[in-house]
Amino acid sequence: MSEAYFPVGPGLGMEENFLSLDDILMSQEKLPGRAESALPRLAVLLGQGAGSAESVPEGSKLEIPLWLAKGLHDSKRRIISVELPKIYKEAWRTVFSADANVVDLHKMGPYYYGFGSQLLNFDNPENPEIAQTILQATEGGPVLPASNSVCPLQTFTARFRRIMDSSQNAYNEDTSALVAQLDELERALFQVGQKGLNDFQCWEKGQASQITASSLVQSYGKRKFTEVDG
Amino acid sequence: LFQGDLGPFNPGLPVEVPVWLAINLKQRQKCRLIPPEWMDVGKLEEIRDQERKEDTFTPMPSPYYMELTKLLLNYASDNIPKADEIRTLVKDTWDTRMAKLRLSADSFVQQQEAHAKLDNLTLMEINTTGTFLTQALDHMYKLRTNLQPGESSHSQDF
Repeated sequence: MSEAYFPVGPGLGMEENFLSLDDILMSQEKLPGRAESALPRLAVLLGQGAGSAESVPEGSKLEIPLWLAKGLHDSKRRIISVELPKIYKEAWRTVFSADANVVDLHKMGPYYYGFGSQLLNFDNPENPEIAQTILQATEGGPVLPASNSVCPLQTFTARFRRIMDSSQNAYNEDTSALVAQLDELERALFQVGQKGLNDFQCWEKGQASQITASSLVQSYGKRKFTEVDG
Repeated sequence: LFQGDLGPFNPGLPVEVPVWLAINLKQRQKCRLIPPEWMDVGKLEEIRDQERKEDTFTPMPSPYYMELTKLLLNYASDNIPKADEIRTLVKDTWDTRMAKLRLSADSFVQQQEAHAKLDNLTLMEINTTGTFLTQALDHMYKLRTNLQPGESSHSQDF
């Protein structure tokens, strides 16, 4: 029943873990941005034109994946400037402060928390508030007195209770309806909670001290001992 | 492996032995088990009511009450008077404690405290909720470090 390998988790804060699958998938998410200078012959690459010799004119709007945006972002050379995706903007932040539980975070981009943390890499005057919203959305705690700053921290705090309750009490039920609304980070938490619950039930039934075939071995498809003749 | 001496075993006289030996002998039908003195309907009812009244955790009669109850009720229920009632009572107490634990975890997270003190919790309860809680707190920590790009230490004021 133990893990076959130990997955590398997503990185801390504004850094990403190079080997983490979650971080890699997350950095593929697109950001709206603008080209600050003409980009010669890159039109095809960025989906703007048909010919291979076209250049992207200055000021045109682009959708860039995060990894590309991070690499090209430099205030001195002015190649790209990025804007916040709408979910991190002011309008959504007020939605989160009202009630973070009703938001379908998976639809908004499955990596709300991780992506939000990465956005803080780009110098943006609204950064501290974004960070706070993300945190508080999970707790739903008191909104800060400074203006209407709501942040991912708040989103996290608001939704935490829901995740805990639902993961700890749904034994052997179909949880897809509950999980559909959570983003990747919350899903991982949910699975940990479920696993804890399953292990406890297993112990109570007495299965914890029985030896069962490991799930890895069962998929090998070898013949079982009892089926061999002679 | 550990060694020791037990006994002498004389028929009809009560002897104290480790639980594993008692269960083994019982399965071989060589003995009869006597329940511990806290495993009694009146006492368990008291504990359960106290648990429901208080906001903090009551000290439990034994740090292994869950495991002991499970073992004894599975293997030796015929030696324990009112086994079903005992099972229900212990389960009730367990549910109350778990609910209290979750409530306090929730308020802990909501207020973003730095410490929580949990007295009188048994290991079983900690194990059931521990993994989830530590992971959630890890995520909170990561999100919180976003707020202080230059510092490395914690801060409660933001």
